[in-house]
Amino acid sequence: MIENGFNRRNFLKVLGWGGATVALSGCGNTSVEDGREFVTSYAETADYIIPSIGTYFNSTCAQCDAGCGIMGRVREGRVLKLEGNPESPINNGKMCGLGQAGVQAHYNPDRIREPLLRNGDRGEAITWEKALELINEKVGSVNPENVAFLTGVVSGHVKALLNNYLDALGSGHHYVYEAVAPSVVRASNKKAYGVEMPRLSMDKAKVIVSFGADFLGAWVSPVHFSQQYARFRKPDNGERGVLVQVESKMTLTGANADRWLAIRPGTEGILALGLINSLAAAGLPVSEDVAAAVGEYTSDRVSKDTGVSAEHIAKLAALLKERSPSLVIAGSAAEGYAHGSQNAAAIALLNQVLGNVGQTVEAPSSVPFPQMAPSTGNSFALQSLSDDMAQDKVKVLFSYGANPVFTAPAFFKLKENLKKVPFKVVFAHYMDETAVEADLVLPLNSAMEDWATLMPEYIAEGAQLNIRQPLMEKMYPGTLGVGDILLAMLKQRRPDEYNDYEDFYSYLRSAMVSNKDALGGADKDDDTFWETALSHGVVKLVGEPVNMTGSMSAAALVVPAPFAEDATYPLHLIPAVSASMRDGRNANEPWLQESPDPLTTIVWDSWVEMHPKTAAKLGIVEGDIVEVASKSGAIKAQAYLFPGIHPDVVSVPLGYGHEAMGRYAKGVGSNAFSILDPVFDNETGELAMHETRVKVTKAGQRVIIVKDEGPAGGSQMGRRIALRIPSNKVNLSEEV
Amino acid sequence: MSITNLLENWSDFRHQHPSEDRPHLEYKWAMSIDLDSCTGCNACSVACYAENNLPVVGKEKFAHGHSHHWMRIERYWDNDGREFADQGAQFLPMLCQHCESAPCETVCPVGATNHTADGLNSQVYNRCVGSRYCNANCPYKVRYFNWYDYPTTDNVWPAPMEQQLNPDVTVRGKGVMEKCTFCVQRLTVAKSDARTEGRLVLDGEVQTACQQVCPTGAITFGNLVDPLAKVGKQWMQQQVDLNKDKQAKDAAEDAVKLRGYRILEELRTYPSVMYLEQLRESAI
Repeated sequence: MIENGFNRRNFLKVLGWGGATVALSGCGNTSVEDGREFVTSYAETADYIIPSIGTYFNSTCAQCDAGCGIMGRVREGRVLKLEGNPESPINNGKMCGLGQAGVQAHYNPDRIREPLLRNGDRGEAITWEKALELINEKVGSVNPENVAFLTGVVSGHVKALLNNYLDALGSGHHYVYEAVAPSVVRASNKKAYGVEMPRLSMDKAKVIVSFGADFLGAWVSPVHFSQQYARFRKPDNGERGVLVQVESKMTLTGANADRWLAIRPGTEGILALGLINSLAAAGLPVSEDVAAAVGEYTSDRVSKDTGVSAEHIAKLAALLKERSPSLVIAGSAAEGYAHGSQNAAAIALLNQVLGNVGQTVEAPSSVPFPQMAPSTGNSFALQSLSDDMAQDKVKVLFSYGANPVFTAPAFFKLKENLKKVPFKVVFAHYMDETAVEADLVLPLNSAMEDWATLMPEYIAEGAQLNIRQPLMEKMYPGTLGVGDILLAMLKQRRPDEYNDYEDFYSYLRSAMVSNKDALGGADKDDDTFWETALSHGVVKLVGEPVNMTGSMSAAALVVPAPFAEDATYPLHLIPAVSASMRDGRNANEPWLQESPDPLTTIVWDSWVEMHPKTAAKLGIVEGDIVEVASKSGAIKAQAYLFPGIHPDVVSVPLGYGHEAMGRYAKGVGSNAFSILDPVFDNETGELAMHETRVKVTKAGQRVIIVKDEGPAGGSQMGRRIALRIPSNKVNLSEEV
Repeated sequence: MSITNLLENWSDFRHQHPSEDRPHLEYKWAMSIDLDSCTGCNACSVACYAENNLPVVGKEKFAHGHSHHWMRIERYWDNDGREFADQGAQFLPMLCQHCESAPCETVCPVGATNHTADGLNSQVYNRCVGSRYCNANCPYKVRYFNWYDYPTTDNVWPAPMEQQLNPDVTVRGKGVMEKCTFCVQRLTVAKSDARTEGRLVLDGEVQTACQQVCPTGAITFGNLVDPLAKVGKQWMQQQVDLNKDKQAKDAAEDAVKLRGYRILEELRTYPSVMYLEQLRESAI
């Protein structure tokens, strides 16, 4: 390569002399030599940092409230990818797509980077000192009765601090709001079983009948249930579990069922009582009052009311009688009606009759620290807040972990009511619809920069406290953790108690360490206990199984007749909760927008699902832009023809249609929350999400739907690509 | 290479790996996917975006078929004639099948796609000239072309989103074909670690990103040569032979079936991914 005898060795010699010459010709010592600067070798790096080698740190996912343990791969100070934490009994090292996208919440270009104070239509950057001083002043100038906190689910030490702050005010109101939550089922479970969320042992069940509970997609703790589902499908003995899904619009779980039963909306309770009747007729022992209560629900009548064929009712009853234990789950499809509580109670009664309570419906563990147990939310809370605001009862409002302006139906008039609140503080990651309305926006750390402890609502084994710890340095100096903000606010109220804590980290560490005996660290010194907790990401607690002391009264159970037809609004609207979009809080993460909806394969837009029969009747073809109008409003979206939906139903996914938030969310699709009708569950007062009646009309345009499935739609065109065989043709116990 | 050499030793070039006389030596990476466990949740697909620096192309480019999902979930219905899809959907995670006799390899004019010694269908990005012949020839449609220079395209990796990129994986430029690599960056590390310790990679020591994330554990990945590897045991138990284009068991008229199969096996591509058929209960 190098000619004329000038070889590599000579070349290096020349370089060496040249270098030395440069050094010798310098004046005096270098800054390194005389100690003004240091050369730090990578041989002495900070703990665990080896260039090019990823190190894993445990933390807790913040994408939904299931509380999966995560493990962040950190390289050269950056978090790159999340994996599941194998030590967490909730997810055992597994994750979902939504959780994977957590890094995109962290590195999102649309995050707010400094506190913003409203100045006319604009937000003006201010310092944290000024922001906190302003809060102090505003809170101090009003009656504590008029201070309100709106939050999503809170638990752990953040909840403790929040409660202490409210306590310090002497009053204040805490509204816990979840836009999409199984709140009616919780209330019904509490009645039937004595606990809001019993432990569902799917892996012990031989048959699961789910009334619209999308436990593989978006219901309660999907990653945990998915693992149970895998064991339910393929237990060691090879007896494959059978899943039957009853719902009016197919969910991801419905798409995995052995039999998907399209039920007329709202008649879930009737089917449950009909099944009890059939079971009793087949010889399953039931008490007299139950027999009396279900006496009139004969197979013929139930079939007529629900649209489920008598043949399927008989087969399902036979299956349930033959294969025990089973598990019956009431999900969002059953609870979303004005008689949602009754539907859920009927389904709970079916579980009782089948003897599943205590077998597959088990007692959860008690929580050793009730002050840290999760405060779960519901839509009733937002309704109360909205009413209070309308009556000028709220002078200072704090909002954290919720985006009510986006998720509240239009009839709430939330945006108008918000205007009556003189000072609104929003803790936010993005300038979302609620932050835009705020007077003061406080930018939060991402979940990958923050400290917290969390206690999930559904815990798989015993009790546990999850740790959230920073996986890297803060991206922006101007953001703070919610714990830090609450601590700073508490210092304003109770300086004597809290001034000793420099930041939320020191508070958290000292609170944990001072309770280490109860947190399983009695035999460890403080540092070891703390380090162990951080490295595991989960602190397992000792709790006792609580008593399941429910009372089910069959006599009091009344399930209404099916809906009457409505000539003006002939179709039922089912707002669908998809696994990745949920209530829309993660809509600005592009992986989720580009991840096709599993059932329709649509990306980057909303759609209106309808049965081909319904579409034919209305003269609609795929891609027609249609208007979906309810009494409360109208939205437009593209029509998609779908074989997994009842002909009386149309479905629009939630989470799309943001008017703010960021570049990936804004303007994508339409917001189905906005057109929901004001119908509420009779017993709990919860918004009945499935009660909205709509009419669908063509709006004139037609588009080509952007989706992943090819022109053949769902057909394999005779090729052997995805194969399916009856389970009795296979011997699963011999499989590896 | 003379034409004589090419013609005389044609089978060596065309049909190197699936032959009895030339077994794989230390490694043959292979996968199995249980379609009865797969719920179609898309976690694998998103994990692949995170691990392999896949660009998010946006709605318009997605409509043009420019999406880059190396792992994608295909969804089929089989309700032919019936009112509802009342036995649910059929989900199929589709990724590069790492064919032992890959149709894409033979057509590459520059040898950018070729077979590695441990049985991967590899893509050499800096050799690729973008002829896209491989894409045209792939029966599984799992090759993805960079029609644009995504690192400089708006909103693909706007700062600071680029900080998430995996430094172990190249960010591909415009005009380059790309595809699933079986997470070769993870395999390389595992092999190197094992070599340092003077041993082979143990089963379970390395996982692909899709396998690691899968909530139901539907994906098994490992070394087919390793007699202790679960993936090999599965292939063996299901009587799926890597080197056959027709499996003997398929001809048998048994009452009890084995559900392992490979997609489009009859094309003699010898795929390294075995699927296990989805099951449905007949009592309901």
